[in-house]
Amino acid sequence: MADQLSTTFAALADPTRRAILARLASGECSVTELAAPFEMSMPAVSKHLRVLERAGLIARGREAQWRPCRLEAAPLKQVAEWTEQYRQMWEQHFDSLELYLQQMKAKEKKHGGKRRGK
Amino acid sequence: MAASGVANSETFKVSTPSDTEIHFTRLFDAPPNLVFEAMSQPEHIKRWWGNLGDGYSVPVCEVDLRVGGKWRFVNRHPKGDAEFYGVYREINRPGRIVFTEIYAPFPDAESVVTATLTEENGKTRLNATSKYPSKQVRDMVLSTGMEKGAATSYDRLDEVSMELLRK
Repeated sequence: MADQLSTTFAALADPTRRAILARLASGECSVTELAAPFEMSMPAVSKHLRVLERAGLIARGREAQWRPCRLEAAPLKQVAEWTEQYRQMWEQHFDSLELYLQQMKAKEKKHGGKRRGK
Repeated sequence: MAASGVANSETFKVSTPSDTEIHFTRLFDAPPNLVFEAMSQPEHIKRWWGNLGDGYSVPVCEVDLRVGGKWRFVNRHPKGDAEFYGVYREINRPGRIVFTEIYAPFPDAESVVTATLTEENGKTRLNATSKYPSKQVRDMVLSTGMEKGAATSYDRLDEVSMELLRK
């Protein structure tokens, strides 16, 4: 799981690859069509596509010449699960803040609220 | 998951209001000025952020709290360091703060965080929205919880709360 995630992160870290994914979100297309908006050679674009394919973010058609690319949504469809994990991570930080605030309040009381002078 | 037992913990909610945003909300049992101070001053940030257990600390916490001022933050966790930095865009003490945030390994993926603190029945409600440049980046940020979330234990927090109860 962690390995798949690392591969997905690495693939997503590049702006050209993110642009390719954005283009594919509106439908499948050929490598030539994908390369058109980028000032980049076909081999360079093909290299990006291989990275995306390895990360499971896109799939290539089997038609010998055309080989259309399409977005594979599965790795990006874990948002709900991720949100829960993310919530748990931040919950710990904010719980820690809550406990710390109570310490701050206690300290202020001890010093007679001098700093904030109510 | 198990409840943490910390006050107001159940008020913490995370949502994804759009494809490119993450939203947080939580109540804190302290006035807005104190929450603002705890969240924006390095000596305080280091204390609560770095208090998650063994292997957690904040070795770098630089805050130049003025519009256009920079901030930088290194969160040391058991698996390594995570560096974040950005610039303050708006500061309206203690009610509202807007800043940019970059996670160092992905410098082209800048997010904008808007946080507000409002008084609610003697407590403070935090609302924070992070806006990312694309859905892909937003999803990447969400998925980082996968690695860190499960690793932390609540032991340290329990220790602290017991300590506080004894006082």
